[in-house]
Amino acid sequence: MSNTLNYPELAALIQARAGVVIDPAALERPGAAFDEFGVDSLGLLGVVGELENRHGVKVTNGAESAKTPAEFLDLVNSAVTAKAGA
Amino acid sequence: MTSRQQNRRAVITGLGVVAPNGVGADAFWKATRQGVSVLDRISREGCGDLPLRIAGQVRDFDPRTAIDNRYLVQTDRFTHYAMAAADQAVADAGFLADPEQPYAVGVVTAAGSGGGEFGQGELQQLWGKGPQFVGPYQSIAWFYAASTGQISIRGGYKGPCAVVASDEAGGLDAIAHAARAVEEGTDAVVVGAAEAPLAPYSMVCQLGYPELSLSDRADRAYLPFSPDAAGFAPAEGGAMLLLEDEATARRRGATVRAHIAGHAATFTGASRWAESREGLAAAIRIALERARIAAEEVDVVFADALGVPAADRAEALALADALGPYAERVPVTAPKSGTGRAYCGAPALDTAAAVLAMEDGVLPPTPNVTEVAHDLALVTGRARPAELRTALVLSRGLMGSNSALVIRRGEPS
Repeated sequence: MSNTLNYPELAALIQARAGVVIDPAALERPGAAFDEFGVDSLGLLGVVGELENRHGVKVTNGAESAKTPAEFLDLVNSAVTAKAGA
Repeated sequence: MTSRQQNRRAVITGLGVVAPNGVGADAFWKATRQGVSVLDRISREGCGDLPLRIAGQVRDFDPRTAIDNRYLVQTDRFTHYAMAAADQAVADAGFLADPEQPYAVGVVTAAGSGGGEFGQGELQQLWGKGPQFVGPYQSIAWFYAASTGQISIRGGYKGPCAVVASDEAGGLDAIAHAARAVEEGTDAVVVGAAEAPLAPYSMVCQLGYPELSLSDRADRAYLPFSPDAAGFAPAEGGAMLLLEDEATARRRGATVRAHIAGHAATFTGASRWAESREGLAAAIRIALERARIAAEEVDVVFADALGVPAADRAEALALADALGPYAERVPVTAPKSGTGRAYCGAPALDTAAAVLAMEDGVLPPTPNVTEVAHDLALVTGRARPAELRTALVLSRGLMGSNSALVIRRGEPS
């Protein structure tokens, strides 16, 4: 299993932690922003918490403040990869 | 401070109900008029071993169909009830908020305890697994202001918003607060209260109330004003109303169901039931004065009806103090003996029932109560027809608040 987060997993996590149902393809669309799906910073904070618990990593680069799914994936994956490489 | 503007009057144009005896105003009124008692054993998970056994539980409500999925994850059951009742009230009024006028609509709720069930789940995560397992929505879901916030955000209602925390009587005080907002210039206010106290942590909190009935018999647990009164059964649920400025409502063709005529609140101290006589009498007198009506014009009293002998006696005496000899004749009812007391939601439900009773011309009965131990004309047994123009709704809180609200039937335009 890959250690990096992808769009389908992100969609599933948002549904579980924030209750918002989003098609993964919509998250992946260029220019997609969390605002348009009604995902707020508390929802993203819950997703970050879940990922931290799963991977045993602290995500301290502000991923929960990301405005877009692409930015969120970059920040989370860089934090997780940094841990794996350490 | 804004002063009251001339010619503005707060009227009720919509009702929303989530109650143990019915979801929706029609189902609620049908059961209330029939005097159906739905008090029963609490069946919620984790509640079976607690000494509190009998309550009014909302059973015909599926949050998955009534509420958007995100609110199931982000909010507590008390907010699910309030949001669903608010939706009903707005739809019932045929009200469509103007997106160009977001400040014309406000939201006011009252809450006694907030989201205990949601909070318990997160506290179990905290102590069972650790702080990193507590979800961020704990920061808003348990809070007693959550329902006002969620209704306001979702509806785009940016006018005066508030949460009234004044004990059970807050359900009436919230309506009065909303009426003042309407009189001061807000076009519409979504107002009411809903509670969800039937979860393990919330129930343990209530076990400290000496007034709580620990009876295990559904037909004996809550018998207000009767010789066998031995406390109250709690309940969940509540009601939301849409209050509007009368002229604005009539201009859009809305039906004016009732108007808010007078209100007053007093405080006499926690569980000091003998003293509540004076406080409740004062609240009734001032509310009638503000409504500019005489005692004899009150056609029905929806009593607080705590079901504790000292409190019942104080309420009967307060009515005698405030209404004089007419207190022995005015019809008094307490439909909540069939549903339990939903804390702040209880007087909101009574207000909805009062509107429906006036429209239907029917006095609903006091379920389960057959004998009356006080000098009151308590409506027992079956509903009776009556011409009702004015209702007096009373509420007292366990912490000492007393409140009286006068509403009058709406006239056709």
